[in-house]
Amino acid sequence: MTAATHVAPPEVVAPLAVPLHPARAFFRQRLGLVGAAMLGFAFFVAIAAPLLAPYDPYASVRPTILDIYQPPSAEHLLGTDDGGKDVLSSLMYGARVSLLVGFTAAFIALLIGASVGLVAGYVAGRVGGALMRVTDFFLVIPDLALMIVIVAIVGPSLTNIILVIGVLGWTSTARLVRSQTLSVKERKFVFRARAVGASGLHIMRRHILPLVLPLMLANTVLVISVAVLEESTLAFIGLGDPTVISWGQMLNFAFTRGAVSAGAWWALLPPGLAIVWVVLGTTLVGTALEEALNPRLRRHHLEAEPRLHLLEELRGGEPLPEPPSLAPQPAEGSPPVLRVSGLTISYDSAGGPLRAVDNVSFDLHRGETLGLVGESGCGKTTTALALLRLLPPGGTIERGQVVLDGVDILALPQNELRAVRWTRMSIVFQGAMNALNPVKTVASQVAEAIRLHEPEVGRRGADDRARQLLERVGISARRANHHPHTYSGGMRQRAMIALALACRPDVIIADEPTTALDVMIQAQILELLADLGREFGMGTIIVTHDLGVIAQVCDRVAVMYGGSLVEEAGVQQLFADPQHPYTRLLLSSVPDVGHPDRRLRAIPGTPPRLEQMPAGCQFAPRCPLVFERCWTERPPAYNLDRRRAACFLVEPQARATDG
Amino acid sequence: MAEPVIRVRDLHMQFAGRRGLVDSVRRRPAQPIRAVDGVSFSLHQGEVLGLVGESGSGKTTTGTLLLGLLRPTGGDVEISGKSLERMSAADLRRLRREVQMIFQDPYESLNPRMRVADIVAEPLRVHGAVPRGAQERERVAEALEQAGLAPAGAYLGRLPFELSGGQRQRVVIAAALALRPRVLVADEPVSMLDVSIRADILNLLADLAETQGIAIVMITHDLSTVAAYAQRIAVMYLGRIVEIGPTADVLGSPRHPYTQALLSVVPVPDPTQQQVPVILTGETPDPSAIPSGCRFHPRCPQAFDRCPLVDPPLYTVGPQHGAACLLVESSAHYEAGDDEHDAADAHRSP
Repeated sequence: MTAATHVAPPEVVAPLAVPLHPARAFFRQRLGLVGAAMLGFAFFVAIAAPLLAPYDPYASVRPTILDIYQPPSAEHLLGTDDGGKDVLSSLMYGARVSLLVGFTAAFIALLIGASVGLVAGYVAGRVGGALMRVTDFFLVIPDLALMIVIVAIVGPSLTNIILVIGVLGWTSTARLVRSQTLSVKERKFVFRARAVGASGLHIMRRHILPLVLPLMLANTVLVISVAVLEESTLAFIGLGDPTVISWGQMLNFAFTRGAVSAGAWWALLPPGLAIVWVVLGTTLVGTALEEALNPRLRRHHLEAEPRLHLLEELRGGEPLPEPPSLAPQPAEGSPPVLRVSGLTISYDSAGGPLRAVDNVSFDLHRGETLGLVGESGCGKTTTALALLRLLPPGGTIERGQVVLDGVDILALPQNELRAVRWTRMSIVFQGAMNALNPVKTVASQVAEAIRLHEPEVGRRGADDRARQLLERVGISARRANHHPHTYSGGMRQRAMIALALACRPDVIIADEPTTALDVMIQAQILELLADLGREFGMGTIIVTHDLGVIAQVCDRVAVMYGGSLVEEAGVQQLFADPQHPYTRLLLSSVPDVGHPDRRLRAIPGTPPRLEQMPAGCQFAPRCPLVFERCWTERPPAYNLDRRRAACFLVEPQARATDG
Repeated sequence: MAEPVIRVRDLHMQFAGRRGLVDSVRRRPAQPIRAVDGVSFSLHQGEVLGLVGESGSGKTTTGTLLLGLLRPTGGDVEISGKSLERMSAADLRRLRREVQMIFQDPYESLNPRMRVADIVAEPLRVHGAVPRGAQERERVAEALEQAGLAPAGAYLGRLPFELSGGQRQRVVIAAALALRPRVLVADEPVSMLDVSIRADILNLLADLAETQGIAIVMITHDLSTVAAYAQRIAVMYLGRIVEIGPTADVLGSPRHPYTQALLSVVPVPDPTQQQVPVILTGETPDPSAIPSGCRFHPRCPQAFDRCPLVDPPLYTVGPQHGAACLLVESSAHYEAGDDEHDAADAHRSP
């Protein structure tokens, strides 16, 4: 069955903080509504059968030869069957049996499956293992064959049929519930409940069941359709309860009593279609429910899923086309290698596009390390990804230019863009450490990247260069010939850096490159990045929330807040004399191990949400120096002496600088 | 000095190691993982102790042992003078109220389907601490307001997704406070939060220690986080405390080479002060293969011939300040038998 193990899409920014209510999410699924309507109709007919049916199929009649297999007429809308009974009426009464069996059997399956799944998932060890073995056993035995045997032995009464279908149909639910339980059990709030001292029963009832229940119900709806089918099958092969009319029974009678030779399609088609109708209806409802209820919960960006798809996109696969010819660069004091101007990005949401990055501009020179700093949701990662046009689905670059050595990346056609990515501008993610190919040695992966970019260096040349590069990032020749899984987190990040450098890019972007690493290694990786930038004459952008990192490795700093660049300055300038109130407060909130006596100050309030961005200055609601103008007008980035700040308070100063 | 709230004596925790395929075939026994390998310290009312170390240092396992969630394989935890070891299951449950935990990830540690009121009331209900109804509501509101979520009424009906990260962490703290514990174990309480709100949470914890007299064990990998908040810092390496002492002493004149290295890599938010990080060589610490002698010697920049041979005890190097390094041996003077002396308290014969 469709075990719902969706992998949540990697989240860069969560533009929609508010998940849809499950009911509303369900109603957004049109097919689900159609399914619900189909089921509703079937239920209505089943309940109202005594009122709706033109004849009573249970009334005993003595058919004459003239009554049998009569084609549809005004008197019998769907004709008559082998016993001269009205097919339409049988069909309506048949709905009662089919639905009754379907729902009660599924309910039994749910009870058994849920209990087994919960216990097997929660209680690890022997009990859980044994329960799973039992489940596996039931899963591999052919249901139908066993059903036929059992029903043949115990006798085909309606109760027996329900019990047999229910008792044999719980395995899919059990497996789903178990896997869900296993994953919910690992979540922190369950551990928190255990730490509080809660018992296993309490945790299962209060924490696991509510989270597993929705998917369990969705699965049960699908079990219903299976049960309806199974009942029909049993009845069709003559193992139905002979005292009641069901759709399978109708089919059975029609087949065994000459409907085919009599050409009486009306005795065959309607019950067949009725079965399809109910099964299709339940399947649609079940699928829609699963979609609607699958909780895609907001996660924090620091623990976002590895951005594997981005890396895949980056690396492409086939050999790259020639990079576009870019003008060669004169050294020092020259135009920037990367110029970003007016970059504006929005994300789609139910309530219209939300602006995540607003009019961001900055320059990056060769050999320079720029720190892009800000709180989560400030747009720093979105900005970094947009430089390579790697925005997640829903993200759109509205305006702006990203000019790399005279070429606007945002205007490049797709094939040329691929050549620029990775070769001229590459990126190191925090989560992409697992993105190394597990079946190839690290050295061969780096060599492969080099040859992809520069086929002329040949196999030997590429191997040599790969070895040198890996040595430079601190991976010895011996270790380079190992597979990635033997590497520690820090080693993998080094390998990723080597991979990113393989094509000698002009610009390297590192998005929180050390967040997932241990403290002792963080410093080394950052030093390495900064050194390599100078050594290779690259422009380096380090995206981080850690101002300590910025202070130690960056030359310039761009501070982002609420999607805007609020201040940009040389690192010494910024730390010594911050101009924007936000920067000032941010600096005072950073712990400094050298001044343990200094108590830290937090910035009151929280960063603005995208859907509630202030009209004026984004920082106004938290700013201690706010005045009227800040609420209505957004300050531009004023140019000061070799630095910029977007605050009205520096306006007089900016005028003085200009004049 | 008063009786400590928590006293940990020579705590050990071993987990069964995993065997690789080769090991199983060759019938080699699995190497046990010695996550905690002889940890001793004590903690007084209202004190904040920073437990600092890399991943794999055993700091989180130590925290879990304080909660009584795991049975230590050796040593003992005493809470308010009562030993966890000799305690019945029922007593242990009662004692659990006294020690509560705060977790790293406020986004994951709240059940997304539960409202704030229920989350904070849950510990009370689990322990049957107060009858449901007015009394429970009062305690929940009290806890929320202590955690800085005032007025409590504005938060009771909310679901976690409606709260910011900082607010969520406050809800976690409120749930921990509901049982009026004497000890809080805070495992990386701010590492998942934005820089601008970290100080709020840390200030809140410090206030709780100061005004309510709650003892706090703050577990972190980041020395700078605890610098301004902990009265004492204990540095862990491979399951053992290698240096412990008053914050100013440990940060100002660290005696263990590992502490010195750790301190040298903390990014200083001051570009004029360029750091010279002490880069440690050698393999990353592996608790299933603890080196002989001093466990730090393969990575120690100052290791000498005796280090692989002698497992150094915690030598007293100053008032309440101890370091487990042979380099300080000559200058050390430890006063065995003095119970109130933490460094001595932690001393083990090699």
